[in-house]
Amino acid sequence: MTIDITLTVNGTARTVRVEPRRLLADVLRHDFALSGVHVGCAHGACGCCTVHVDGTPRLACLTFAVQCDGKAIHTVESLGGVDATHPLQQAFSIEHGLQCGYCTPGFLMTLAPFVDAMVAERRVPEDAEIREAMSGNICRCTGYHGIVAAVRRAVTEQIETGSAQP
Amino acid sequence: MTSADRRHQIGGADRPRHIGARVRRVEDRRLLSGAARYLDDIRQPGMLHLGFVRAQAAHARITDIDTSALADLGAEIRVFTGQDTSGLTIKAPAGHDPKSAALPDGHQGYWRMQDSEQPLLADGVVRFVGEPIAAVLAEDAYVAEDAAERIAVAYEALPVVATMAQAQDPSIPPIFAGWTSNVYIERQMAGGDLAAARAAAAHVIRRTYYNQRQAGVPMEGRGVVAAYDPADRVLTVWSSTQIPHLVRTYLAEELGFPESRLRVVAPEVGGGFGVKGQVFVEEVLVAWLALKTGRPVKWVEDRREHLVASIHARDHLHTLTAYVAADGRLLGLEADITVDVGAYSTFPFTAGGDPGMAAKVLPGPYDIPAYAATFRALATNKCPLGTYRGVARPSAVFSQERLMDDIAAEIGMDPIELRLRNVVRTFPYKNALGFSYDEGSYAQALERVRDLVAEDRAAARASRASATTRIGVGVACFIEQSSHGTPDFTRRRVPIETGYIAARVTMEPDGEVTVDIGLQNHGQGHETVMAQVAADALGVAPENVHVRQGDTLTTPYSVGTWGSRGGPLGGGAVHEAALKIAAKLKAIAAHLLQTDASRIALHGGRAVVIGNEGSYVEIRRLARIALRNVDQMPAGMEPGLEAQCSLDGPADGTYSNAVHAAVVEIDIATGKLRLRRFVVVEDCGTILNPLIVDGQVRGGVVQGIGSALLEHFIYDEDGQPLTTSFADYLMPLAPEIPNIEVHHIETPTPRTPLGAKGLGEGGAIGPPAAIANAVADALGVPVSATPLNANTLWTLAADIRAAAETDRDG
Ligand code: FES
Ligand code: FES
Repeated sequence: MTIDITLTVNGTARTVRVEPRRLLADVLRHDFALSGVHVGCAHGACGCCTVHVDGTPRLACLTFAVQCDGKAIHTVESLGGVDATHPLQQAFSIEHGLQCGYCTPGFLMTLAPFVDAMVAERRVPEDAEIREAMSGNICRCTGYHGIVAAVRRAVTEQIETGSAQP
Repeated sequence: MTSADRRHQIGGADRPRHIGARVRRVEDRRLLSGAARYLDDIRQPGMLHLGFVRAQAAHARITDIDTSALADLGAEIRVFTGQDTSGLTIKAPAGHDPKSAALPDGHQGYWRMQDSEQPLLADGVVRFVGEPIAAVLAEDAYVAEDAAERIAVAYEALPVVATMAQAQDPSIPPIFAGWTSNVYIERQMAGGDLAAARAAAAHVIRRTYYNQRQAGVPMEGRGVVAAYDPADRVLTVWSSTQIPHLVRTYLAEELGFPESRLRVVAPEVGGGFGVKGQVFVEEVLVAWLALKTGRPVKWVEDRREHLVASIHARDHLHTLTAYVAADGRLLGLEADITVDVGAYSTFPFTAGGDPGMAAKVLPGPYDIPAYAATFRALATNKCPLGTYRGVARPSAVFSQERLMDDIAAEIGMDPIELRLRNVVRTFPYKNALGFSYDEGSYAQALERVRDLVAEDRAAARASRASATTRIGVGVACFIEQSSHGTPDFTRRRVPIETGYIAARVTMEPDGEVTVDIGLQNHGQGHETVMAQVAADALGVAPENVHVRQGDTLTTPYSVGTWGSRGGPLGGGAVHEAALKIAAKLKAIAAHLLQTDASRIALHGGRAVVIGNEGSYVEIRRLARIALRNVDQMPAGMEPGLEAQCSLDGPADGTYSNAVHAAVVEIDIATGKLRLRRFVVVEDCGTILNPLIVDGQVRGGVVQGIGSALLEHFIYDEDGQPLTTSFADYLMPLAPEIPNIEVHHIETPTPRTPLGAKGLGEGGAIGPPAAIANAVADALGVPVSATPLNANTLWTLAADIRAAAETDRDG
């Protein structure tokens, strides 16, 4: 059995025919050719597959594509484009918050809303708070140190540039 | 835009020196944007998907494989079993002719070990849960999985060897036909006068230590795609591997396929840590299936498969006996090392790799005049053991450094002072086994750590009165041999055979540079570091250097990325190859500028006359001359700007050193441990890029923290795995990890071209020992095993709780 569903992925709506059992992660990777959606465990424990469904971080390995019919999905590809220009992406690079990069899209999609919320509050979070915000994501390479520093940097820089132009 | 504007600037972003600078990684952009292509992103037209039927019994004879339920699946399915792949195996034969090379006395030779062969698909008997029994091909990955689930396998149970004790029990039959026992290998190595040490010892301290079985768990699992092109008769195999050339050679030999027509590509690889440093049955099988079916075939491992059937690590039991003088000097050390290596010997490091390495490195950073070790590898019905970050050294250092603290406690000496009394201080130093250590900073690193944790040690002492919270500080002092050359492998007679890395450097007519290197990057930032190295030698900017790796079509033959040799040997090879081109550029410049080549320096994109900056030729022009306007070259010079260097390591390698310190706080009522601090002082010789060095150290440390506290791959008494998902196999998460403090000492080695020593693994080596020592310090009890999870810690704190009870009651 297959079902037609319409997903608005990174701003473009498209209708695809899928089996109800097909995971959102697989549909994004195969039908939409988005290589930035990574699968690390396929059982909801590592956060690699995190995407935004209607603006909220969700695990694409625990979500069936049919559950997202009519919804807006954003993947890491939408964050800062091919040059990775988003302030959090830039901060990851400066602070060496990535090594093999496999977990990275998941961390970025988990943390981007957190960074936005902090910037909106104009508050640089404590390290413990940053670590808590990423407690659903596993990185096996970096030891998290550079990721924590990157979040701190992204928040700080955006608050500073924001305050320069009230 | 004029064409001149579009030209790249050669050497534009020049710094005085790129080596040693905190250069941002060039890899990051594609990884951050999602554009990077990992194995699962490889797609081929007409591709079939492979699913596995894997053993559910630990040791059993297969009596039936029933595929009848596939008929009503409504899809075209092809099934292959061990009968189809009969004769194809993973074998890791240790050299069998001990006479062909002299074996130095007291060294490990693996010849005449009991070899095992792992069939691609089980040939009648399964020997661990997860071993592949049947391969199922379908047009869709979901359907391949459905089909695999519908195949029913019937087993007849065989006696399971599930523990070290069972593996050494002569009443339990060997798991391989023709074997005399379940011991792959048992060997001795020794040096110095142990009898004299025994006679002179004021203290004899004997302890047993154990490190649990673990999995390595890169975030991307394994995966293989293979496609045969009948037009030019080339078989291309993409694999998430650290060793593309070794995979190619293995495939060529096993499949009888000409190696010149085999291409192995490691695409972007999402972590490896040694796990992806063996040749696996799945790699051979996928290649074989592509040839057999004429269709491209793809297999992507799922997480359960990875946990039960890639490779495992550690599972070391050591008994050490130290002979100690009254003043704390170590006179001699004896070691008995047993490792549960699981069901098959892996290629290319063999079942002897882990125990042999532990025996080899146990003397560590200490000046111990006499040493003797016995090591053995046991066969059990568990996933095979392979290489994982540190390879035996985390366990060797755990035992060695727990022992140092136990000695200190027994003779009433400060543990850091005891180490300072025993560390090697004059270099080069030859240890009892005859290994020569290059310059290091062992004492200096210890002193630095002593200063850094002085306040924590005071806080730990103050906490002794507390019945609720105890603080402890532990250190681990160690060295890491890396970059060892071919003789080290020849001695062992293991199928890895050699350890060189090759690089080819090409300057193009526009002055841009291509580096093709036989390393394979899985997070180490080679593209950045190798660009820095080439840039310095050629006087251009790292931005002008394009580094390619992982593809046997473009890169020169090398052993791949393992053993912390990327920086010292990979970097060294790039440096040496680039110098050959630099020499040619200088000769052409000297010819044009009417001077001597020795008076030319390359920097900032220019070949400059030393002492006369105004007199120069642009490197871009020199490249153009060497490749296009060859009439302007000095007479008789060969056109072209391409050079290669294959760099083998020094015979005994280089020795990085480090001291790790852990500060823990333990809740006595619950056993909950908090890491208050983790401090590293490390010396990896010349630092090529501090950003990357710090990242490697920190990442390694956190894996080591996982080894110390959490990660435990558990089998029950029937050999059934109990930790087959991330819900059961626990790894460190961000909230429980502190910021890792990293300090450097730089003692360049004369043994590699750039003075660099290996550093990729070191971070993972120290934490189990440092944390166990901190726990012993906090609780005032000996600690002999890991993982130190809350359960264990709660048990270890029992005496403190009991004493508190007595105080209250009394
Ligand atoms: S892949 Fe979805 S949480 Fe791990
Ligand atoms: S960068 Fe490799 S898992 Fe995070």
